[in-house]
Amino acid sequence: MNDEELGGVWTVLHPTLGQHRRIDARVSAWLEAHDTSLAAEWSGLFRIAPVSALGLVAASAVSIATAPPLIWLARALI
Amino acid sequence: MIEAAMRHSAASALASLFAALSWHLGGDAGPPAPLTDEAIARLVEQARAGDTGARHMLYVQHVDRVFRTVRGMLRSDADAEDVTQDAMLTVLTSLHQYTPRAGARFAAWVTTIAVNTARRRFRRRRPELTATGELPDRPDHGADPADSLDRERRRRALLTALAELSERERMIVSLRYGAELNASEIGVATGIDPAAIRKTLERARARLGDRLEALLGSAGGMA
Repeated sequence: MNDEELGGVWTVLHPTLGQHRRIDARVSAWLEAHDTSLAAEWSGLFRIAPVSALGLVAASAVSIATAPPLIWLARALI
Repeated sequence: MIEAAMRHSAASALASLFAALSWHLGGDAGPPAPLTDEAIARLVEQARAGDTGARHMLYVQHVDRVFRTVRGMLRSDADAEDVTQDAMLTVLTSLHQYTPRAGARFAAWVTTIAVNTARRRFRRRRPELTATGELPDRPDHGADPADSLDRERRRRALLTALAELSERERMIVSLRYGAELNASEIGVATGIDPAAIRKTLERARARLGDRLEALLGSAGGMA
């Protein structure tokens, strides 16, 4: 059996349609779950829990606004 | 001239996309036609830039190759499915780490990831089914039952013959005939000297050929 013949033989190891579908489904599901952008995540959060989302936005804004003076104060004290 | 080249490139990309869609929707067009190395390099660039269509095309172009390579190395269909899935996810999420080099095909990089994923599975070996002890998957819808039976018989013979080779021999022949890599590319993927790979291939090819002839008989050849 030569190189070419053995290469031809290997085609019997191709995945079946069922195996193909299972692999495709699992890979697609994983990618879809990890492909969501940050904007889409926030938009989803606003849709599902608008009050909590607003609370998170407010807390983030307050931390961004208060962090620099607090850091400055901490440095001055040290 | 440039316009003609662009038109040809767009036409071949559309043809491949159509073939890929047809194959994945259960059509009988068969696996997608392989793309040139240049077309693959373009897809890699597009996928890196966030083009999910290009990423899907890369997946479709390589998933069969990965499966038939790791299926030759591993002892069960279930392991081969898991390793193919893990390897393809690693490929698709690590495209930014791929560095194109002259003479090194993207397929060789993909196969190296698949080999490493399969090797990890060897290390945490779990109770295995034997190569021939599994129930066959249901035949493809619309396939001729006689063809399916014959294919299954040849498949079992190849898996039985492979199971009699050492782990190293199985890996090398799988990379040669499943991934269609040459001895140098197999050397890069496995860290084995290409001269030793050529010797192993020669020996394993003879053993596989003899065993397949014995298992299938002269009337039921594999070709």
